Amino acid sequence: MSHYEAPIREPLVLGDKSYHDITEDIAKPIEGKANKNWYIAFYISLAAMLWGFGCIFYTVGTGIGVWGLNKNIGWAWDITNFVWWVGIGHAGTLISAVLLLFRQKWRMAINRSAEAMTIFAVFQAGLFPIIHMGRPWNGYWVLPIPNQFGSLWVNFNSPLLWDVFAISTYLSVSLVFWWTGLLPDFAMIRDRAVKPFQKKIYALLSFGWSGRAKDWQRFEEVSLVLAGLATPLVLSVHTIVSMDFATSINPGWHSTIFPPYFVAGAIFSGFAMVQTLLGIMRKVTNMEDYITRMHVEYMNIVIILTGGIVAVAYATEFFIAWYTGSPYENYTYLSVGAATGPYAWAFYSLLFFNILTPQILWFKKIRRSFIWSFIISIFINIGMWFERFDIIAIVLSKGHLPSTWWRFEPTFVDVGIFIGTIGFFFVLFLLYARTFPVIAQAEVKTILKSSGEFYKKRSEQGIPTKPAIKIANLEGESDKKDKE
Amino acid sequence: MASNKKYWQSVEELKGSSIVETLSKKEFVEEIPTDDFLGDKETLENSSTSRRDFLKYVGFTTAAASLAACEGPVRKAIPYVVKPNDVTPGVADWYATSMADGYDFANVLVKTREGRPIQIMPNKDANGTTSARVQAAVLSLYDEKLRLQEPSKGGATITWSDADKEIAAKLNELKEANKPVVLLTGTMASPSTSKIVEEFIAAYPNISHVVYDAVSESGAADAMLAMYGKRTLPNYHLDKAKTIVSFGADFLGDFHGGFEKQYIAGRKPETGDMSYHIQFESNMSLTGANSDKRLVLKPSDQVFALLNLYNIITGSNVPSKTTSVDADVNAAAKSLQKAGAKGVVLTGLNDKNAQLVALAINKALNSEIIDVNNTLNVRQGNDTEVAQLVSDMKSGKVAGLISYNVNPIYSLSNSSDFSEGLKKVELSVALSIENNETVDASTFALPTPHFLESWGDTQFDQVTYGLMQPTIQPLFNTRQIQDVLLKWTGNSVSYYEYLKGFALTNVLNGASWNTALHNGFHKKEILEVEETTVSDIVISDVASQLLKSTKASAFELNLYTKTGLGDGKQANNPWLQEFPDPLTRASWDNYLTMSIADARALGFANPVKDNGAINGDYAKVSVNGKELVVPVMVQPGQAKGSVGLALGYGRTFGLKDEMKVGVNAYTLYTNGNNIQYNVSIEKVSGTHKFACTQVQKTIAGRHDILKVATLKEYNSSADPKHSWNKPAFVSYDHNEVEASTINIWDEHNREIGHHFNLSIDLTSCTGCGACVVACHAENNVPVVGKNEVRVGRDMHWLRIDRYYSSEVETREEAKELGLSRGDTYRALETEAENPEVTFQPMMCQHCNHAPCETVCPVAATSHGRQGQNQMAYNRCVGTRYCANNCPYRVRRFNWFNYSNNNEFDFNMNNEYGKMVLNPDVVVRSRGVMEKCSMCIQMTQVTILKAKREGRAVDTDEFETACSSACTTGAMVFGDVNNEKDQVATLAKDKRAYHVLDYLQTKPNVVYQVKVRNTNEA
Repeated sequence: MSHYEAPIREPLVLGDKSYHDITEDIAKPIEGKANKNWYIAFYISLAAMLWGFGCIFYTVGTGIGVWGLNKNIGWAWDITNFVWWVGIGHAGTLISAVLLLFRQKWRMAINRSAEAMTIFAVFQAGLFPIIHMGRPWNGYWVLPIPNQFGSLWVNFNSPLLWDVFAISTYLSVSLVFWWTGLLPDFAMIRDRAVKPFQKKIYALLSFGWSGRAKDWQRFEEVSLVLAGLATPLVLSVHTIVSMDFATSINPGWHSTIFPPYFVAGAIFSGFAMVQTLLGIMRKVTNMEDYITRMHVEYMNIVIILTGGIVAVAYATEFFIAWYTGSPYENYTYLSVGAATGPYAWAFYSLLFFNILTPQILWFKKIRRSFIWSFIISIFINIGMWFERFDIIAIVLSKGHLPSTWWRFEPTFVDVGIFIGTIGFFFVLFLLYARTFPVIAQAEVKTILKSSGEFYKKRSEQGIPTKPAIKIANLEGESDKKDKE
Repeated sequence: MASNKKYWQSVEELKGSSIVETLSKKEFVEEIPTDDFLGDKETLENSSTSRRDFLKYVGFTTAAASLAACEGPVRKAIPYVVKPNDVTPGVADWYATSMADGYDFANVLVKTREGRPIQIMPNKDANGTTSARVQAAVLSLYDEKLRLQEPSKGGATITWSDADKEIAAKLNELKEANKPVVLLTGTMASPSTSKIVEEFIAAYPNISHVVYDAVSESGAADAMLAMYGKRTLPNYHLDKAKTIVSFGADFLGDFHGGFEKQYIAGRKPETGDMSYHIQFESNMSLTGANSDKRLVLKPSDQVFALLNLYNIITGSNVPSKTTSVDADVNAAAKSLQKAGAKGVVLTGLNDKNAQLVALAINKALNSEIIDVNNTLNVRQGNDTEVAQLVSDMKSGKVAGLISYNVNPIYSLSNSSDFSEGLKKVELSVALSIENNETVDASTFALPTPHFLESWGDTQFDQVTYGLMQPTIQPLFNTRQIQDVLLKWTGNSVSYYEYLKGFALTNVLNGASWNTALHNGFHKKEILEVEETTVSDIVISDVASQLLKSTKASAFELNLYTKTGLGDGKQANNPWLQEFPDPLTRASWDNYLTMSIADARALGFANPVKDNGAINGDYAKVSVNGKELVVPVMVQPGQAKGSVGLALGYGRTFGLKDEMKVGVNAYTLYTNGNNIQYNVSIEKVSGTHKFACTQVQKTIAGRHDILKVATLKEYNSSADPKHSWNKPAFVSYDHNEVEASTINIWDEHNREIGHHFNLSIDLTSCTGCGACVVACHAENNVPVVGKNEVRVGRDMHWLRIDRYYSSEVETREEAKELGLSRGDTYRALETEAENPEVTFQPMMCQHCNHAPCETVCPVAATSHGRQGQNQMAYNRCVGTRYCANNCPYRVRRFNWFNYSNNNEFDFNMNNEYGKMVLNPDVVVRSRGVMEKCSMCIQMTQVTILKAKREGRAVDTDEFETACSSACTTGAMVFGDVNNEKDQVATLAKDKRAYHVLDYLQTKPNVVYQVKVRNTNEA
């Protein structure tokens, strides 16, 4: 535990925590009772979720006609929401896998929640391709399973099929990665659990983690392997999602820069969502010492970078639309046609939320401010939703033949389903916050500085060094367990 | 040889042991102890059902009951016990017949399947044509809501024999008292019926016959009577015309029944020459949209311009007034004089004097185009007689009224006078196919059959004698008017016998009845027309009368009929209601068309809402003290100071709620005059919701979609590929090459077997929309209703895009004008005040490199060996990606279930309406994509027929519904691998191009550049 702390680096964990303090802090939300705020948030989310489910049942029971789509605009909020949620899901893998490979220790405070967010977001995303189908009950036909329908097979040319593979791979790898990280933490909860039922559940969830050196060794190996596997997924998932558009022939969709631009956009929006969630979580679960200004600042730096890439992509799109000289490119989502057309408000919303807003993060004061980061993160979430809406709705609203130009207006069902997925997302996240260790405590403990400085400080302040003994006790206990 | 083999099951049986016999008599091997169980009453009473048993029984019965309830609905399919000789299930029978419903007249072929008529096509041998309404008439047959089903008296059902007895008694009573009775019918154009009516009148001399057309062309007939001594309509051989000058005559619409076939026959650029067509009009009509030069002129100015033209042509000096287009009138006169006998002038003003002036001009030109010998019988209505009848009825002078196929209470402007008079008559009998206001107000309501259930004959012009034959057993308890009148006359012969006798003696002249019936017509060899005597008309008197009746005013109303609904007879026909107007592309509505300038001045607008739909403001229109609140549609090309309003809408009686759309413009149709002066218009509150299928009006500078050339350009020696039919060029290996030469895939060999192409000639397409309805009928295309059309969910597989020109047509022009980029777009998107109009039929292009095919995750849409882009409905999961990736946006998604759904209560929601469904085409369920299939069910029938007959498919034998419905021959379908097929040549024509060829989708639908004769004079 001789962690060297460079004097110019800020500490990753504040508040002079001991190992035991960390355990206590992380276990508190799980072992304690939920406060009023949690219940309020939960019930609101639950209501939204149920409303959304109602809208989904209505859609499936009646027909896609209950949405605002029409003969010329075959997708709108459905695929907008799908891409938005998939994009949000991107930060999790980036934080847990890429930053792990780059040995970025600051990820440890946020990776658990970021990954949880990823998985919950992918759940929401996955809903849309299913419910947007005219006949969702036949949705399994998109899976290449042997069947008795004759010689029918899926169409491997279709980007939608690639989506099926990309999303399902992403979800399963993310889930495994997340769960692997959770094992020692679940074991910690299990060991502390008093109620037999709770103990049983956490025993199951921890897959019999025993804390032996061999466990830890395998844990490290698996983490590294999974990180290696997950890293290409960061690039592949949104690349493939972007191909839904890029391989089509619609002006504005048919664009070769879509893959990198979508990946950057996804990380941009993913980090924004992590900011939003952690901004709430650090307050609600008293994790201020673990999720610090430094974490916020680092994430903001990623946001500035990816936001910059996105801005360059927008400029390129605008330039190319003009540079082609093709009259068919006059009305792409980033063009003069869009800026002067009926969707000008969406066009300018995109520019405001996604290009202008992140720029104020160049000011150090703002990017280290919790409240500013929170507000900006919400703006970016909105902006990234508009980006997808603009790409889909504006492009489809001005197709090749002017006779087919039309507009889209959502119905209450469109809105209801979107709100429902937000509700569903928060229901999952709130349940997670009450039942899962929200910070990877086992990992955080590895970066805790536990030198003599710690004890010295404590004795100077007159605090008894009891915790250290307790840790010893704890370790003794687990030793005992091993012997059993 | 008898077998002596013996089969046995056991040794005992083989040996014939008695135990076998004993056992075979017992049902169970062991005795069932029923007595032990049921015989002992005491035990039985003591035994109690335990709670568990009870629950078991309840559970079992509930499960059994619910399982039984889960059984699928029973649909009866009753096989023929004895198969009729002429019906083979699965094979269509075609019958030649004629349509004559009082407004639409056509020689047609009817396709029947298993005894049900399912489609109407033109009888091309008889030179027949079909319009959207004729095509849709097959659905009106199955209109169980509007059609009269049983004879009734005062609302109570009555038998035919009782009705006959009562009416005959009353008629005889009136005859004795010599009280006048009127037989009021629509135009029938039937020689045998005329004879029956004559005989009827002979039997009852107190009866007089009045013909009433809801939409009147009385003026033209009266003018003919005055000048040529016979009350018919002149015929126009527009195919031979060099110059056509029309003053508001919508001769591609309903003017004299329409002349689009002749008109387009004279406009084939291949011949190097086309007729030159100048249209002076106030409303934007189909005719004006197709003209070479269109001059907007309000009705009163049309009168003056007509008189000015007369003065120039004849060199006389009848009184007239100057107009803003005098120079153009001069030019038109020059062109007419140059054309000489090949020039013709038409006017659509329903005014005897105006028609006389036009006839006089044609006479002065010695025009060969107008034909006053082989005249038309399709509008025989006499406004004067009708007006007299109404006033007689009101004053109680008429004792009896027998009406047939008319609805004056709906279609008369003074209908209140009529209904008041109807109450005063002693006997009112309405013979009608439909239940309408007039039928309801009459004592006797006698149902007559649809023309598809009737015998009959027709005589539209003087040469072609058409026959009508039933194609189905009458659906309801109906009787033809001819049978009714024969019966009342006391003639016991059936109308069929009468008709046969009539035809054999009077028409067929020794020719076979069966042949004539088979063909559906008989061409008379000699034109039996008495020499027309020409009376001299003093045009200066006519002109001064005309000037007196022309009350030029700030606003003038031009009433017209729409392509879809016509006079409103088929207002309960969902296909026609959903049919978008070719010009405004609005369905389910009529509206006041107003010029852009007037709309701006009065504050009317058609804003596009966020859901893509168009709204409109309401105007209060006041004419002759009558008021009507009408939604306003701003119409480019409408003459300033004029407004247009379509007749035939606003019917409510007996109609389904969905069909009760629009306003009844007949209330303003005073004296049957289509022009009403002294109109005042006032904006009133409220917002009207229109249902348009197209919102963007111009081509927005994308001229490679719609290529237009002038006749001069076409005739020039310049290479079309570098002038007026430029293909797309792309950069390939740093060279500019023609896009069609580039291919990123290895091509399949398309030269094996059939390869279908459809050629669409934009020069010949008038936008009439017969193909749209034909496609509806052939392919079971659902009707979705006004609200769904409004939000852009019409299901038409085939649509006709209409583009107006803009003031600024290209970006280059805009640059020269110094417009900013945003302003450029706005200029390109905004239609001109008097635009040129182009129609472009658009359906699945059946791309050989189809963008839709690659993106479907489940491969539900794939390419056929014969070039079709096929859609497997059963496989479709409904991701809609194919529709998004279709650059032509021709794919249609089933947003809801459109059949058997009370939310969509159209023909697919009732047992009668479903009889029109084509059994060869599946009805799609919700959640699947559908689109044009190039009528694969028709091409397969053709192939299989040839195969069965052991021959190759004939030249031009392949057809689709749209191509066979096309009156003008604009659509040509066929096999490009058969060099003799017309389409094989057309596909390589110098006018041929593909829409959006820069995308390299390689469509199998090929368009022919539109050629306009705009260089003339």
